[in-house]
Amino acid sequence: MTDQDGVGGERTRSSGQTVTTGPSRDGSADSADATTAGRHGRDTEPDARTAASGTAIAVEGVTKRFETGPDSVLAVDNVSFEVETGSIVGLLGPNGAGKTTLIKSVLGMVVPDEGTVRIRGIDVGDRPRAAYANVGAMLEGARNDYWRLTVRENLRYFATVSGVDPDSVADRHDRLLDRLDLTEWADTPVRKLSRGMKQKVSLASVLAGGAEVVFLDEPTLGLDVESSRTLQRELLRLAREDGLTVFISSHDMDVIETVCDRVLVMSEGRIVADDTVDELLRGAAGGTVVVESPDLDADALAAVRERFPVTAVEELDWGTRLTVEASGDDLYGLMDVLATAGVTPERLRTVEPDLEDVFVGLTREGGR
Amino acid sequence: MSTDADGLGPRPAGYYHLARAVLYREFLLFVRYPANAIGGVVISLFFFGVLFYGGRMLAGQALTDSIEGIVVGYFLWTLAVGAYSAISNDIGSEVQWGTLERHVMTPFGFAPVALLKGAAKVVRTFLISTVILAVMLLLTGTTLQLHVLTIVVIASLSILSVLGLGFAAGGITVLYKRIGNWLNLLQFGFVVLISAPVLEIPWLKLLPLAHGSGLLQRAMVDGVRLWEFAPADLALLVAVAVGYLGLGYAVFQLSTQRARRLGVLGDY
Repeated sequence: MTDQDGVGGERTRSSGQTVTTGPSRDGSADSADATTAGRHGRDTEPDARTAASGTAIAVEGVTKRFETGPDSVLAVDNVSFEVETGSIVGLLGPNGAGKTTLIKSVLGMVVPDEGTVRIRGIDVGDRPRAAYANVGAMLEGARNDYWRLTVRENLRYFATVSGVDPDSVADRHDRLLDRLDLTEWADTPVRKLSRGMKQKVSLASVLAGGAEVVFLDEPTLGLDVESSRTLQRELLRLAREDGLTVFISSHDMDVIETVCDRVLVMSEGRIVADDTVDELLRGAAGGTVVVESPDLDADALAAVRERFPVTAVEELDWGTRLTVEASGDDLYGLMDVLATAGVTPERLRTVEPDLEDVFVGLTREGGR
Repeated sequence: MSTDADGLGPRPAGYYHLARAVLYREFLLFVRYPANAIGGVVISLFFFGVLFYGGRMLAGQALTDSIEGIVVGYFLWTLAVGAYSAISNDIGSEVQWGTLERHVMTPFGFAPVALLKGAAKVVRTFLISTVILAVMLLLTGTTLQLHVLTIVVIASLSILSVLGLGFAAGGITVLYKRIGNWLNLLQFGFVVLISAPVLEIPWLKLLPLAHGSGLLQRAMVDGVRLWEFAPADLALLVAVAVGYLGLGYAVFQLSTQRARRLGVLGDY
């Protein structure tokens, strides 16, 4: 499920080009108030250019290289993209692709060598405090909150440090606890909770101050299926009802496929694809067709091979199973070849590529 | 997420709210998990017991004659070690937990949080060291001049310089990680600083703790009150405290910036 409101824009599959895709949930290009002051009423006026287009995150030409000389590693290579306010954008990539470095560069935890990052129109290099005033982040592998404090104490503490008087958002905290099924544990020290519960507390504390843009790195790591679904449901609700902008990095394809309006695929430091899940699947290499028949002899196999790439031939007790690279459009051609060769399929099924196949294909190509 | 407690929407938090949150957190940890504090008291008293009884066996009357100075020096040492290790270890823990990264990107940043934590650690250390001092006085039968205002001011200024060292050590931990044990060795150097011969070698007064230790001895052993010290002595104490605190804090800030450039801020 992707592209929830069916709105898209220009897209690219190569890095280094500005991308302006992403659904505009408010349906208006200029609905954002360019003069809106931040929570602190100072130094937080969004840049009119980006705010007017409803852009929550604008990354342009970000590059980060670690070390120098022959051991240097180009972790992020001239990456550019934009994220619309209120959308959920996923970041996929194999280990070492540069996802975490990219997220940390956007968050100012890593200083990029080149490029600019604007959050709600504010350049993070010029005015970091103002830019991050309404930003929350839950990073992979980090505890993110204080385990010796209770759940509610964490929410109050992190609301305060994010610039909000916790007494004024007590109702919000109650709702967050309720929606993440944490009410029962509100007064329990976090260290006594399970890993999945801790993960939910971490998310709650990120949202405790009313962040408008959140970055989540592997948010469902360690969660059971039910907890993962609760979290996904809550993310969708927050984006739809409250206009929360979510940038989410995950290896969990189900999460990406379920919640994301758009997906960026990273490989070797570059964005190699940027599209909705539907478009990525549509543009993917064809699927496969699996044919099982007792008539698949050597001549028939040779006839099929002349027209289609055969990826597997497996002998069965009663015949042969043939796996052929062929999309739905090629199916009739394959049937003709089989009929001409005198093969009557006993079983035939098509396997369309899923997001994982697309991801593997894209990252194997490395954008080349 | 728009309705709130009073229906007026979220109110901004200022430095007052930040101070309240940080200090309340430190208070909760202190009262909820007293084992650390109790452990610190027991270990400190154990070492003092070894020092006192072992020393008396070896040195006899000589040690008894100088016991007041030893008690005051040990009191200041526990204060210094408590403040230093609390702040340096705390920064290391924040790095490990990922909470330092979270603070860095907040409107306040980590700097005021670290300073407030430092203040809370000093208060906590004072409470613990007061217990240790009381037991030491009972154990040794020594009497000291306990003018609270003088002791609090002189001792606080003395350990501010150590707090600066703690910030510097915390900054180095942010950069290089897992070197806490090496940095903890520095606390044994505090013994040298506390017993530095500042009368014979005056420039030693510029080192952390050294000048403050001398003034605290005069306050607690000789009964000199705060306003009876020479203004130049107090000015030097303040200068050393502010200087090392500022220097340590600058090292911490520079280390954090360098860690961001190297991309190692949150790694542990």
